[in-house]
Order: sequence, then C-alpha cells, then structure tokens
Amino acid sequence: MARDPKYDILFEPIQLGPKTLKNRFYQVPHCIGAGSEKPGMQAYHRGMKAEGGWGAVCTEYCSIHPESDDTSRVSARIWDEGDIRNLAVMCDRLHQFGALAGIELWYGGPHAPCMETRATPRGPSQIASDYELNIFPRYMDKDDIAAVQQMYVDAAIRAREAGFDIIYVYGAHAYLPFQFLSPFYNRRTDEYGGSFENRARFWRETLIKVREAVGDDCAIASRFAVDHLLGPISIEYDKEGARFVEYCDDLVDLWDFTVGDIAEWGQNAGPSRFFEENHEKPYSGQIKPSNHTNKPVVGVGRVTNPDTMVAIIRSGQFDIIGAARPSISDPFLPKKIEEGRLDDIRECIGCNQCISRWEIGGPPLVCTQNATAGEEYRRGWHPEKFHPAANREKSVLVVGAGPAGMECAMVLGKRQMSAVHLVEAEREIGGCVNWISLLGHSDGKPNLHRGTARGLGEWKRIVNYRQIQLDKLRNVEVHTNSRLSVEDVFTYGAEIVIIATGCRFATDGLNAATHAPIEGADATLDWQLTPDEVVKGTKQIGKRVLVLENEGYFMGASVAQKLAGEGHEVTLVTQAKEIAPYMEYTLEAPMLHRDLHRLGVDIHVYTMIEKIEPGVCHAYNIWNPAHKLRFEVDSVVLCTARLSNDELYRALKADKPRLEREGIEAVYVIGDASAPRMIVDSIFDGHRLAREIDSPNPEMPLPFIRERRLWGDSGNEDYLAQLRNTADVALA
Amino acid sequence: MKILVCVKQVASLDEEFELGGDGLSVDPEFVEWELNEWDSFALEAALRLREQIGASGDEVVVATVGAEVAEDGLLGCLARGADRAVRVWDESLASADVLVVARVLAAVARREQPDLVLCGVQSSDAVNGATGTALAGLLALRRVAVVKRIEPEPEGRALVVERELEGGLLERLRVKLPALLTVQTGIFEPRYATLRAIKQAREKPLERLGPGELGLSPEELSGHAGARLVALRPPERGEGAQLLDGSADRIAARILELVRERVG
Amino acid sequence: MAGGVLVLAEARRGELREVSLELLALGRELADSAGLELRAALVDSEPERFVGQLAATGLTEVLLVRAPTAHFEAHVWEQALAAMIEQERPSLVLLGQTIDSLGFAAAVAARLGLGFASDVTGARFIDGALYVTRGAYGEKLIAELAFPDRECTLLTVRAGIFAAAPVDGSRPPVREVSLELADASATEHLGFVEVAESDVDITKAEFLLSIGRGVEDAENIPRFERLAERLGATLSVSRPLVDAGWMPAARQVGQSGKTVRPRVYLAMGISGAVQHLAGMRQADLIIAVNSDPEAPIFSVAHYGAVADMFEVADALEALLD
Repeated sequence: MARDPKYDILFEPIQLGPKTLKNRFYQVPHCIGAGSEKPGMQAYHRGMKAEGGWGAVCTEYCSIHPESDDTSRVSARIWDEGDIRNLAVMCDRLHQFGALAGIELWYGGPHAPCMETRATPRGPSQIASDYELNIFPRYMDKDDIAAVQQMYVDAAIRAREAGFDIIYVYGAHAYLPFQFLSPFYNRRTDEYGGSFENRARFWRETLIKVREAVGDDCAIASRFAVDHLLGPISIEYDKEGARFVEYCDDLVDLWDFTVGDIAEWGQNAGPSRFFEENHEKPYSGQIKPSNHTNKPVVGVGRVTNPDTMVAIIRSGQFDIIGAARPSISDPFLPKKIEEGRLDDIRECIGCNQCISRWEIGGPPLVCTQNATAGEEYRRGWHPEKFHPAANREKSVLVVGAGPAGMECAMVLGKRQMSAVHLVEAEREIGGCVNWISLLGHSDGKPNLHRGTARGLGEWKRIVNYRQIQLDKLRNVEVHTNSRLSVEDVFTYGAEIVIIATGCRFATDGLNAATHAPIEGADATLDWQLTPDEVVKGTKQIGKRVLVLENEGYFMGASVAQKLAGEGHEVTLVTQAKEIAPYMEYTLEAPMLHRDLHRLGVDIHVYTMIEKIEPGVCHAYNIWNPAHKLRFEVDSVVLCTARLSNDELYRALKADKPRLEREGIEAVYVIGDASAPRMIVDSIFDGHRLAREIDSPNPEMPLPFIRERRLWGDSGNEDYLAQLRNTADVALA
Repeated sequence: MKILVCVKQVASLDEEFELGGDGLSVDPEFVEWELNEWDSFALEAALRLREQIGASGDEVVVATVGAEVAEDGLLGCLARGADRAVRVWDESLASADVLVVARVLAAVARREQPDLVLCGVQSSDAVNGATGTALAGLLALRRVAVVKRIEPEPEGRALVVERELEGGLLERLRVKLPALLTVQTGIFEPRYATLRAIKQAREKPLERLGPGELGLSPEELSGHAGARLVALRPPERGEGAQLLDGSADRIAARILELVRERVG
Repeated sequence: MAGGVLVLAEARRGELREVSLELLALGRELADSAGLELRAALVDSEPERFVGQLAATGLTEVLLVRAPTAHFEAHVWEQALAAMIEQERPSLVLLGQTIDSLGFAAAVAARLGLGFASDVTGARFIDGALYVTRGAYGEKLIAELAFPDRECTLLTVRAGIFAAAPVDGSRPPVREVSLELADASATEHLGFVEVAESDVDITKAEFLLSIGRGVEDAENIPRFERLAERLGATLSVSRPLVDAGWMPAARQVGQSGKTVRPRVYLAMGISGAVQHLAGMRQADLIIAVNSDPEAPIFSVAHYGAVADMFEVADALEALLD
C-alpha cells in the first residue's frame, strides 16, 4: 500500500546544523527506566522506534555529573567511559536503522536529591526545590558556574564519542539553565541575576561552550519551557519566552519547546483526561508563527493523528512533530503512515501509565496500548512481529472480550493459531473499558488552571484498535451477546480455554485496610451502589452522596467528580493519606484536585467508615478510632475492593476428568478474572500468555533477561541462548 | 419440512486492487471471500423455523452456485446447523449473471422439492436483489420479498410474514407453503458455530454437481443470460468538492435543493 | 407498440412515488435518442386517480391496469407486467428499484427470458444498442452491461439518481388495459405495522445528518437533533463526540463505529479524520460544512461549504419553517 501524498510533508528531510533529519518524526527525550545501567533495554526500546521509522530518537534526561542524581527515579548518565560504552549501544542501534541519536544533557540542581551519590547539587540561589521536599542547593559562585559549565562541555564530548548526533542543553522542566533564567528561582544580584540578559547569561554561555566543543560535529539543541505557566513571576511565552528564543537563536541548531516545570509537569505531559491533542499550541506553538526564530522547532502535544501533524507543519506551528507517548504506544507510527496503514496505528490514550513508573522511581516503563514497551530486550518482544506458535494447530476459546481477552485473542491470532474464538457476553466487545471511558467528566466548566475535565473517552481507543485488528485476523472469530455456561465451555470444542471474565466490585465493603466487610454495607440495596452502577445509571442517586474509596487509583475520585458535576453534594472518604494516590504518578492529581475543589467535594483522608445505616455513615479517623465522624447522606457508593469473576474458571478446573474427556488440554485465567488490577496490567497479562502459549508451561511466565551485575559473568547466557531462538527482536 | 436456503459466497475487495487479465473481473489476489451477510440471516431464519415447526425428517439444505471458494461458506452453514449442502459449478458458469444463476438454482430446487425456499434480499457484491425473485418466478412459487419477520402458523402450512417497506413501515402478509422468501438483514440474531460444530461440519454431506448433472446445458444457460458484462472501470472520483459559496442562507438553500433531489 | 419504451410507475397508499417521475425523465431521454415511443403504465386498484400526476411531455400513452387487490401484491403485478409486455411488446421496460419491484421484476425477466439489469445508475443507446451502468463489487467499480439478442430488456433503476420529469399538465391519451388478473393473487394482506424506533440503526438511514467536534459542546447537540428531525434525517456523529461521552456509540460513523452508505450524508463540523472517512465515503451524496477550508472531509465530499455550521444550521431551520 502506498503513502497518501497529503502526508508527503511529514517525510521531507530537514537540516539540523551538520546533521540531516530524514523525516519529521522525532522522539523527544523521555524516561523509560533504563538509563545507562540497563543498556540492553535502552538500546532496544529506542531502537524499536528507529526501526519503526522515527527520524530521531533521544535518551531520557542524562545526568552530566554525579551532582545531578535523581535516584530512585531513573535518569541516564554520562559520567565516564563505562557510560559512553553503554550508551554507544543505543547510538549504534539507532544508526543501524537510519535514525539520529539525541542526548539530553541534564543538571537538575535542587530538584535532584542525590540519594545515591550523596553529592551536593548547586543552584543559582539557595531556595529549596518546589518539587522535592527539603532539598537545598549550594549557592553557585563564579567558580561553581565555571565548574558546572565545564561539566556540560565534558559531557558533550563524551556524548560525541558515544556516537550521539544531537546534543541538548536541557533547560525545560525547570532544570538548571531555566533556574538561572527565571526570577522564580534566581534572586542573584551579580551579572548572572537581575536583568534579562544577566539571567540568560548562564544558559547562553553554556550553549557557546558546548557549541565550541562539539558544534561542528553534532547538532546543538536546547529544550526550553517557553512558558512556566506561573504568570509574570516567571517566564511567559509572549514576553521573556519569545525574547530568550531570539536571544539564543544563533546558538542552536534545533529548538525543543515545552511548557511548565517539573513540579507540575502534567501540564506538559498532559493526560487525556484533562488535555486534548496538540494542547501546547497556545504556548510553544506560538513562537515560530510569530517569527521569533529562524531555526527548526520541534514540539509536543500527544499528537497521534497524521492529519493534525500535517496541519501543524503547514501552519508553521512546528517544523518537526515531537512525540514521547505516541512513540511508546506505537513505535511504528511513521512506517504505518508511510505504508498507508493508518488503521493499524495504535493511538496513545494519554493514561500516563508509562510516566507513572518513572514517578514511582525505579520500575521499567509500561504502556496500556503497547504491551511490548520495555520488553523489547528483556523478553525479545516486537510490537509488529509475532512468530508462529509451535502449537498453532490447536484451537483456542477465549471467554470474555475485555482488555485481557481482546489482547490475548489478538496476539494468538497474530501467532497463527488455527482457530481462535473470542466470545463475549455483552453486545459489544471492550469489557470494563466501555463504561470506564464514560468517566472523567465533571460539569464541563474549566478548572482553575487550563482546561476542563474532558473525560476518559480516549481510553476507548483500547477497544478501537483491537476491534480493527481482530476484524482483520482471518483465524479469529468474535462472537458477542453470548454468555457461555460451564457446559457450553466444556462442549465448545477448543483444546485451549482462556478465561478472561473480568471482575466485579465488592458489595459488602470488603477493603484492604480492615480486611473485613463494613457493617451495613450492601450495594444490592437500591440506595447503595458500586461505581459501575453509577456510570450505567441503573439506580437513582440521592442528593447527598458519600463515596468510599479504598483502592487508590481513579475510580472513587472519578465517580465523585461525575456526581458533583451533576449537582450532587459529594463527600469523598479514603483511608489513605490522599485521594487517588496513584494519580500523583500519572500526573493527573493536580488537575483532579482543582476540579474536586471547584466542585465543592468534601474530602476526608485518613478516614474509614465503620457502619452504614440508611441516611448516615459512621466514620472514624484511622489514627485515633475514638475520633468519630458522622456523614448524613442519601446514597453511598462503595469503591472498596474488586473481586475476580472466576466462577467459570474454578468450575472448569474442578472437573479434570471432564476436561480430559472433552479434549481440553489447558485452562488459563487472565486479567481481572485472575486478580483485579489496572488495565495496563490486564492487557500485559493477556499478551504474555499469548506470546508464551507454546512454552512448556504457559501459565508460568518465562524468565526474562535481568540486566544486573553478577560477580564474575553476566548471568544471562542460558536464557539468552534460548531467547535468541524464539524472540521476535533480533538480539545481538 | 424441507427448507432450501440459497446462499452466495461474495467477493470483498482490498483497499487497493487490480483488474484481472480480461479486464472484466478483479484479480483474485485482491479478493477476499465470505458468506453474503443477507444469506447468513436467511440461514438463521431457516434454522429457527425448523426449531419452531420441528418435526422429524426436517431438513435444511443450503445450495450455492459458486467455485471452490464457496465451500468455505457452505461449511460455515453446515457448522451452524444446516444438514446438507449442494454446490453447483463448472467453468461455463464463470460469467453467469443473475438470471442464469436463478435457472441453475431452479434446477436444484426442482430436485430437492422444498416446502420453503429462503434467499437473502441481495448480495453485498453484486447487489442485484433479483436472484430470489427470479427463482420464484421460474418455479412459479408464491413469494414475498424483503421479509423482516417470519411467524409460522401452528400446523406449519402457512407463514405470516412482515415485508419491510421504505420509511420504516411493515406490511403483514400471509403466505401458504410452498413459498419463497427473500430475507432482510436483522431478522434474527444469527447464531455462530462453536469450534466443535466447525470440526463436525466436515462430516456432513456436501454435494458437488456440474450443471449437466442437473440437466442444464451450457448453451441453454448462456442463452438465458439477462445481460452481458462488457466493461469494468473505476468510478469517477471528483477532484474534491464542488464549492457552495455565498451567505449561510444561500448555502442552506442549495443544500436543501441537493437533499431533496436525492431523498425527495 | 412494438419497440417502444414502457415505464412502470409505482404508487403506494394513494401517492404516486417520486421514482416514477425520474423513470419518465430517463424514459423520455432514451426514447428520444432511439426514436422510440414512450408509454407509462400503472397497476393499481384505482389507477385513474394518478393520471394527472403522470402527465409529462413526450408520453405517447398512459396505460392503466386495474388490480383486483386493494394493496400491492407481487404476483398480481408480476402477471400484469408480464401480460403487458407480451401484449404491447416494448423493447425496453423501466421500473424503479424499489421494495415493491424487488418482489416481481426479476421474476418477469426470468420467466419471459428478457434482458435484465437491476439497480441501474446509467443507461443509453449507442447505435441502437442499449448499454447500462451499475455498481459492481459493492460499488467499488462500475460495470457496463449490454443486452445482445434481446428483443426486450427490463431494467430496475436506482431511485434518486435521475432528475424527475417535470409534470407539465400535458394530457396524453389514457388506455385501460384489461388483463385477467383475478386469480393472480397468492398472498393475503393482513395490515400495516408502524415500526417503533427503539434502537437507532444509522446504517439503515437514507439520510444522515452527521456532526463532529465543531459542535463544541454537549449543550449544542439538541438543536442538531431537532434539525435532523425536521430534515427527515437521522443524526449520526464522529468519534470525538462519543469519546467525550456526549452521544452513544450506536450513532458513531467511522472505522471503529459503523460504516454507512446513505443516499445523503450531510456532515457539519466534521474535519474528516481518516478513520471517519472510511466509514462514510461510499455515501451517494456527501455534503460537508466546515469552517476550516483545509478540512480533509472536503476531499471526499461532492459539495462543500466553508462556513460556520451554526449559521448554516440556523439558515436551514429558517427555510424549513
């Protein structure tokens, strides 16, 4: 299939200093949890994007010196020869696929607590970080400034040696250069503080020095938050933002624009719940059209639609389409546009699960839409390649077409199983996504800092993508509106049965805090509800509602938001220290809290309900149960725990002789039906089983490569040998 | 009771395709085959009627005029519950038009002597909407076209059906057997076949006949063709939209004009 | 007549159907180009009540057949048409491709061994030979058909393709053709049933008014629901409105929603994302209204207006008042 000519502009090369970028698809720096100490993961995750057609692929933020240490958050490092060697693996792999390699040289100042190195970060003024708690920088005198600038230069030279083509001086997300530029951080009275030129001096000098050192060989880039989103007390895009771009335009080969800082970087990596596609247009999208720069500009905005990309370039908003999350969700996005396979594009849903892992500090990235993200090296998984299953003559019945079931059936189909039947009880496939994607709205009014609660509608893309893929697979049949009984499954005629029947909410108040039901909790009554009942509208809800949230992710808060938006008086209670703690990690918390406050939701933390009666909920403070609270309410929503719908699975397993008689060789359970979890993990579970359906014991995940130091040798030889035979990624 | 269901394996084209050598058909490489959606509903109607009227010796037979690619569709019907399948083909039927196909099916019907013949209203590739009616004409069978609902009378000698009219109206009719109905989509929810049923379908009888075995000669058949295909070409795609300009009032007026021309 | 063009008009519940006038216009064009006479025929229990409506220039004669049944009955019409063809010997017979004609037209063609093509979208005579065009492979291609060695060809013509003949008050002679139809009836009419619209099925709609992100707010949707109703259209939407939770998925047109092929697709405020276009590009007539001149929808639309959708909606409402 051919490329539609209207997308030709996306494939036009563009010059970045001494380097040629072969097309307009650019993976901007983003975290993946690999750094320099998991060189395999780093090289193969990045390499997958190069294979998928991205013209340039960058590292995550890369520390230039042990004084810039973000542990336990994972950054890359380029401190020494060993780091050069490890990062060179990535550069080589990118070059193999014709992509440019970029490195984002980073010095964090007080935002980086140095918990591993125990060094002392330096900063322009001694003010504690607004991101990390209780971390103060050492004030930089002229010697310190020279020393830190030299760190950039040394790092740039190492970067060149490793093979990087694009070298950043990273001043977005309120890291060091920005800390000098912004009066929010810089209270200096010497020539590095005060006036605009003084505040810009550090950054400008650093650019000059780095350019002098490596500028002939490498493209010099700078990442700049053109607007801090704090108003006149810091940088604004149409004032000092534009001015800075003009001031340093002669020193860069590429501008990479963002907004905001690190303390609330969800304004930049905007989750779809609050931000629409191309949401940075009003800020970073204004610089080039207002003629403040003569250099190429790359910018982001969770853009997944090729038509939007074309419009962005044609309108002069950016020259190059920057992407982090869309490249994680679909490393092959450029190739698919080139080949005219637009319906195969797996669109980012903006859930920010990928980011959550970095925020937690340590784990590798994950992706709801792309279960292979982070698994390219350690399990040899390729998002577009699926080698045929060794046992593909078997037929498979997958019961339940929710996230896990859809993913499993899809991958089994791609692995050429002879026949896969995906059977779903409801009219439509999609499972819990169908009602969850209806949440996330409040009343459509803007909350206090850019944007409205626009809802989780983009999460429906989970279903859209799989529906299209399942339709294309000739060996997969999808049957809806068909609830299978145990007997139906026994007689279905499949050799492999996979149960993916999801989960339900507990109706008795069972919760993780007390491990017991709550007296009086009974969501079978018409004035008590589970979250899905709220969305599906099956029960009347009174004016005053109490939502009890014990799970910790978005459900309780989203229900509260919806009901408050519809005019109810909502009390939101949790035993945790804050509402929806996991949403801190997905960067959704600040906007959510703004919205809940605006809506007047009454929030009680560290609080548990001990008894529910018609009209009243009795609660207590968990630190002192004698400290009682009383909530007078008309309805109660119990978001306390979920339970697997595993009855079918247990019934099948209970009759092994029958299984044998009917020719069923294996019964597996995946997703929420195995154990309730987040959607990203359900999809992974289904994916993994399908990838390993032909292993000796598919129920048990195969070992994966662990990039660790073993005293004496690498420790992966055995598994590597096996993996090379079965992996879809060509492992070196 | 014997019900004969006439089905067709229809061609569905890839996004990009090329014509075959003679320019009168699409290169098979770009064609995917599947059972016609309307026929799927016709089969479902047959299976349900058999369940409702249910007597011993009842048979649901599916028949098609088609090349080997059609066997997939027939197996699907057998898997869903049909008892027997008949496929009629030889090269002389390669350019058969709707009237020729009807003639062949008429020969099959005479052989089978069904109480009821069910066809889909139309096929998704040729969209003639004519095969069933032509067949009824040749067999001089009572028929109702575009049936949305079928209710058997208790003794099973007549059916009450609803015919779908334009604009969402339905006409209720009573028709005695033997009869032929062309079935509209949506009449029932089609059942699907389990993996076991699919495997077992291969054991059910699937007869392959040439038109000669039905007493039809190629000359006779081609002589009855309703039309001959002389050319196949891509539709003209305009160079983009014709612009309606002027004020919102003028645009609206023009839109109404265009709409009325199309839908009245 | 021997060798003329015969148009079989159609009426339902006392109203002459629009397609009949379209057939007259087409019939006139074909008759003129081949030097043939044009006749119209109508079968009905009271056929004379339609004579005035069938008056169009160029008609040599109007033939009326009195049906013994109060309502349409496929077998009666089949007998009537077959008998008329045998008696009058036209060389070309035109019917509309309608629900009624689906019940008898092909039967007549098969029994009498006529030339036959259905769902015809174009027809002309070249050197005295008839050629027609119709869709093929589900409308992805156009097929051209000929009818060698056929003395008489019967065509069922797609409605809404040809412009209707102007009714000009000319009074062609009327002849009642008496046919033996008493025993022709084979089914029993039991009544009509109005269908309750419980589940909307946008794939069955002939006319879709489709709205997209241009509508901006859920609050603006009801006015388009009203407009759809007044236009006689069914409301459908593009994906962003379903994503936002403003409309149910059953109304969504697009690759992950429904594929529709209505007669008319009026898109307002829809930019035309690739996945949306895949779901509606086969519509017979696509009219797009969007304030963005670069909107991709214009590349598949037959008619486009770069305008504000609310202004156009207001103007449409005013015209419908």
